[in-house]
Amino acid sequence: MAVASLTVEGIAKAFAETRAVRELSLEAAPGEVIGLLGPNGAGKTTAIRVLTTIYAPDSGSFAVDGIPYSRPNVIRQRIGVLPESAGYPLQQSGEEFVQYFARLFGHSRRSARETAETLLAEVGLAERAASPIATYSRGVRQRLGVARALVNAPRVLFLDEPTLGLDPAGQRQILALISEVARERGTTVILSTHFLDEVEEVCSRVIILNRGEVIAEGPVADIKRRAAPRTARVRVPEEMHESAVSALKRAPGIAGTPAINGARGLISASLDGLDASGKAGNSAICALLEAGIPIVSFEVEGGKLSDAFLALTGEVGE
Amino acid sequence: MTTLAQGEVRQESALQPPAEAGAGWLVIAGQELRDIWLSVRGPAIVFGTSLLLSLLTYLAASNEELNIIDQRDTVNLVAQITMALAVAVILLFTADCLSGERERETLESLLVTPVPRRQIALGKYLAAFSLWPVLLIVAVPYIWVLREGEGVFADAMLGTLVVGTLLVTGFASLGLLVSVFSGSNRLSLAVAFFIFVLLLAPTQLPLGGWFGDLIVQINPMTAGSTFLHRVIVKEHGWGEDLDLLIAPVVWAIAVTAVAFIAAGRLRLQGSFGR
Repeated sequence: MAVASLTVEGIAKAFAETRAVRELSLEAAPGEVIGLLGPNGAGKTTAIRVLTTIYAPDSGSFAVDGIPYSRPNVIRQRIGVLPESAGYPLQQSGEEFVQYFARLFGHSRRSARETAETLLAEVGLAERAASPIATYSRGVRQRLGVARALVNAPRVLFLDEPTLGLDPAGQRQILALISEVARERGTTVILSTHFLDEVEEVCSRVIILNRGEVIAEGPVADIKRRAAPRTARVRVPEEMHESAVSALKRAPGIAGTPAINGARGLISASLDGLDASGKAGNSAICALLEAGIPIVSFEVEGGKLSDAFLALTGEVGE
Repeated sequence: MTTLAQGEVRQESALQPPAEAGAGWLVIAGQELRDIWLSVRGPAIVFGTSLLLSLLTYLAASNEELNIIDQRDTVNLVAQITMALAVAVILLFTADCLSGERERETLESLLVTPVPRRQIALGKYLAAFSLWPVLLIVAVPYIWVLREGEGVFADAMLGTLVVGTLLVTGFASLGLLVSVFSGSNRLSLAVAFFIFVLLLAPTQLPLGGWFGDLIVQINPMTAGSTFLHRVIVKEHGWGEDLDLLIAPVVWAIAVTAVAFIAAGRLRLQGSFGR
């Protein structure tokens, strides 16, 4: 593994009686996209504000690109941030806006102009660069915000709810952009979001926060397996329930003893989830067919990040 | 662009940032100056001031029936009005400069740049301050037209420049100070303007006795205004009333120092009025 671009060790932040973030630790490699998940008030924005030097941590420490948090001005040279509620000077054009921030990061006038031109082209705003921001839709403004966050070629990019309020097309554009930034620039991306589909699509790892506490952390597949095991729900003719249970017990990939739900006539079998490709489900179907048991219906439940999220946070739904 | 495997770092980039951020205050001041002077705000203030001074000068210079005050008094009035207007306008600009960014949700993006907090404040302060020399220049032709006797023009201009610069420095810093801590723009503007009115009011009152003298001496507005009146109208020499400049000097230095110390502690959320 290359040198970590972000190392966080047990940071905590409280406001009066509220402990917004408790003991958050993580290590991120260049090019990695890490999802920061959690319901409203989980502490995602506070965690990002601590890591972007807006708030000082109450305890713990972190380093960006090896620079300790005690040197915030140097850290700011190495990070890019798209805040949750980023306002824009509506009278400025997109190119003026990006150029201004490039200059704040120390680019010369000429270099700022070139940087703005390159970045606006990368986020697909080359044609609208000269238009006032007031004429931009929310999705276009978010893409502009990503361009602005990249003016210093950051080692770590923090995106706080970048797709909030966007239509599906706008969401797709932003997600594609995030993947591209991580893949092509080697930038570490910390993506805070409510939208679980987004995390499944672009993140290699996920951290789930609830009431300021990390309740799960790891690769997306691991979290899903640990928190939301997949279950096969099989319906077979009632007189064949016992033989179906025996057949399923012998099938590879079935964990424990399948249970018969008498009232609904369904057999539930836990798939061990070791394979993401659904082979455990296939082997269950094969075992039933080989035993000569006709399958009336077969469904697989669970195994989604949303199931894991709900199971871990106890939320009714986002 | 080539695709990198996870963990690899791009060695060369077309967008390599400079190793160190430059003079951020200069960049911020430049942007703010464009915002003031290339928008409606700056030119509108200049136009409004010109209109007011034109009206005053026209009445004083052409209408003998309405021209009930001495020419020197009129010059003093133009100087005082220019100064008070500049102080009020610049105070409102600086009171808005940070709390306004907070309210428009643009402050966070600024705080995550490597520009130190004090430089952010300095850039905005200097841009707001630019109104003062412009308004002073606007007053020049009016004072020239109204001048009477040798040396009035020079005394009026120099006196307005000195006293006005001291007062504008202090009040601009006051606005900045309030803006650093205010969570709401409306509150920031209200508090700053209230303090301005509180200090301006005694200049319009007939102050007498030891208490009146004390107020004149310690209130930077009354002290500055009285100094200007004595130089322009009473034709006092500059050295005669230097004690009247103590309050404006102390005001300018003290408030500016406090404002810029506080600016180093600029936070995303204000301390009051959230």
